[in-house]
Amino acid sequence: MNGVIKAKIYRFNPDKDKEPYYKNYEIPVDREVTVHELLSIIHRDYDGTLAYRTFKCYKGMCSTCIVKLNGQSVRSCATPLKIDSEITLEPVKGGRVIRDLVVDFDKM
Amino acid sequence: MDVKNFVTDVVVIGGGGAACRAAIEASERGMNCIMVDKGRPGRSGATPCALWSIQAPFGPRGRDERDSPEQFFEDMVRAGRFIGDQNITEIVAFTACDRILDMERYGVKFKKYDDGRFYQTPMPGQTYPRSTFMYENGQHMSTVLAEEVSRHDSIEVFKDFFAFSLLLNDGRVVGIMGLDMLSGDVLTINAKATVLATGGYTSLWGFSDNPPTLTGDGVAMAYRAGAELVDLEFNQYYGTDVIWPPSVRGTVVLYELMIEEFANGEITDRNGTSIIDKPLPIRDEAIKIIFNVIREGRGTEHGGVFFDTTKSPKGEAAVRDVFDTMTPKHYHFLIDAAGIDLAKVPLEVAPASHYQCGGVYINERGESNLPGFYACGECAGNFQGANRLAGSALCDTQTMGAQVGGCAADDAKKLDLLPPDKKNVKDQMDIIQSFLSDKKSTQRPIFLKEEILKAMDKYVAPFRDGKGLKQGLGIISSLRDEIKKISIPDIGRYNLELREAVESLLALDAAEVTIGSALFREESRGHHNRTDFPETDNSNWRCHTIVVKKGDHQAAYSKRDVIYTRLKPEDK
Ligand SMILES: Cc1cc2nc3c(=O)[nH]c(=O)nc-3n(C[C@H](O)[C@H](O)[C@H](O)COP(=O)(O)OP(=O)(O)OC[C@H]3O[C@@H](n4cnc5c(N)ncnc54)[C@H](O)[C@@H]3O)c2cc1C
Ligand code: FES
Repeated sequence: MNGVIKAKIYRFNPDKDKEPYYKNYEIPVDREVTVHELLSIIHRDYDGTLAYRTFKCYKGMCSTCIVKLNGQSVRSCATPLKIDSEITLEPVKGGRVIRDLVVDFDKM
Repeated sequence: MDVKNFVTDVVVIGGGGAACRAAIEASERGMNCIMVDKGRPGRSGATPCALWSIQAPFGPRGRDERDSPEQFFEDMVRAGRFIGDQNITEIVAFTACDRILDMERYGVKFKKYDDGRFYQTPMPGQTYPRSTFMYENGQHMSTVLAEEVSRHDSIEVFKDFFAFSLLLNDGRVVGIMGLDMLSGDVLTINAKATVLATGGYTSLWGFSDNPPTLTGDGVAMAYRAGAELVDLEFNQYYGTDVIWPPSVRGTVVLYELMIEEFANGEITDRNGTSIIDKPLPIRDEAIKIIFNVIREGRGTEHGGVFFDTTKSPKGEAAVRDVFDTMTPKHYHFLIDAAGIDLAKVPLEVAPASHYQCGGVYINERGESNLPGFYACGECAGNFQGANRLAGSALCDTQTMGAQVGGCAADDAKKLDLLPPDKKNVKDQMDIIQSFLSDKKSTQRPIFLKEEILKAMDKYVAPFRDGKGLKQGLGIISSLRDEIKKISIPDIGRYNLELREAVESLLALDAAEVTIGSALFREESRGHHNRTDFPETDNSNWRCHTIVVKKGDHQAAYSKRDVIYTRLKPEDK
């Protein structure tokens, strides 16, 4: 099964950007992928500058991978996406945004 | 680029079980400490990935009164195929119970019997059931330890700090240099004593159940500074990690749960025929059975075997209860991420890289051959030997973590702070500078790293031979030319590509000496199976493999006697 995931992703480098902005990606997939897998695919094949947390605990427990998917906090490693979904990804609330989807852990 | 400098008594590199315990001990002995972690303590490294099992010979205070530290010691020595140094094994065996009680004091919750004794599970290779049981598994343990660290005012934590080299003053280690991911700055931390607790590096292999961040920074840093590394050929694979579907690839499911007391299921070939007899063998033997089934063509569609509890005489509800109480996080993760209910369907699993028995060569105080430089936890090398038992690794993080953190602190009290050599600082800075430029990159670190991982999967699997290992070395050496082509824009903070570039550089060293060690040992033992030398050769090879750096990309390999204190091999 082939399809495309359309992702609108929050981008912000406080050193360089005056304001946060969103960047759109269209990523072809041949199966359901988790949000974390999608981010790895984008970082690897489309945009090396996208910052996200690469750590993986393999059991949906550490919460380092948390992002906001369509307005709701989810563990990206444990959240599968349907082929052909359209999504928005943003950093979770509660900590300073370091860059893009990476949030300072201090208050989490 | 400016370099900011910090000063402390003891710097601890890592934020897992060993690092936290070392920092706590150093602080309790009155030293100031800086602990740096590539992620965030409590949520980084392998410790949060771990299960319930941490061994301690509680005897009458636990499940079986016959158990003792002496028996624990003997079980570890035998499982390690007599390659573990017994001065270290003794400390682990004889201080385990006290360190577990420390953990309980910090707030780790253990399962107990009604009369207050520790509940303990049996695991292969334990003469008596010895694994104490942590509710909520390793994540709970690591969170509690990180909280305990934060209660110590004399420990300062630098999170998202990627250490990439040791600083030297005339051969003495005097701290570290690293990249602060939060600001993009390069920092040095000048210290009297430096403790490495960066964990193993099993994600130098592509198929691993460890966090992808563990690719060998720690051992490579140590090696580059001149530290001796030991027994790197004994990388432990675990037999049953999910191989399919890809979204949950690498999640561990425990074959140890297949015993009658727990799920009472089977590991089977593609036809449903059971392949592992009970009582279950220890890990190095289990791996060999599974690998052989796959090699004989009896594996599943995606190259694994089945982890199957669907025919358990206990029935689905009872099996579900086992997963739900013993490994609740893994069980629910498989459901959430991939819709797989372990109690309902057979799962495709295969051996994946899991634990590095080798690492930095230390003595019983955690001292390396470099003055001022210590190591503990999985990144230290000569305790496990050729194989390790379930539940001994977490135990090592607490016993040796406390021991080594304490010794480093005691030594720091007697030492003056020496600054790093100026030239040394500049050389280490050049590592970063060499990657930063606005040129269009011709090589990206992520692809280079993938090549390294592929070579490790292919040539340094549990079954290996001289020809393949040499091919692996050839690949590593050609990648050294490729890495020079990397150029990364200087985009300041959280520059993931810059981190990946430096990680790749360190991973090349870790890969080279690991392959070299496997090539050096011309016998088969524990997790090292040379198909061109299939026998265990006790007269020539019941010894350590040592590797140390001699000049640029020149590794020197040698043998070293194992330290036997209480239990000599019978045939000597
Ligand atoms: C899936 C799984 C299950 C396991 N289950 C068990 C079990 O049930 N019982 C048991 O005894 N053992 C188990 N183990 C093994 C055990 O978890 C590990 O051996 C142990 O946790 C290692 O602890 P550590 O503190 O030495 O290293 P880790 O916990 O791996 O910590 C390493 C730390 O170093 C940091 N670090 C690494 N590189 C750098 C750098 N360059 N700069 C700064 N910081 C750095 C990391 O971020 C991390 O904080 C399991 C392992 C896995 C993977
Ligand atoms: S990676 Fe640990 S919860 Fe997602």
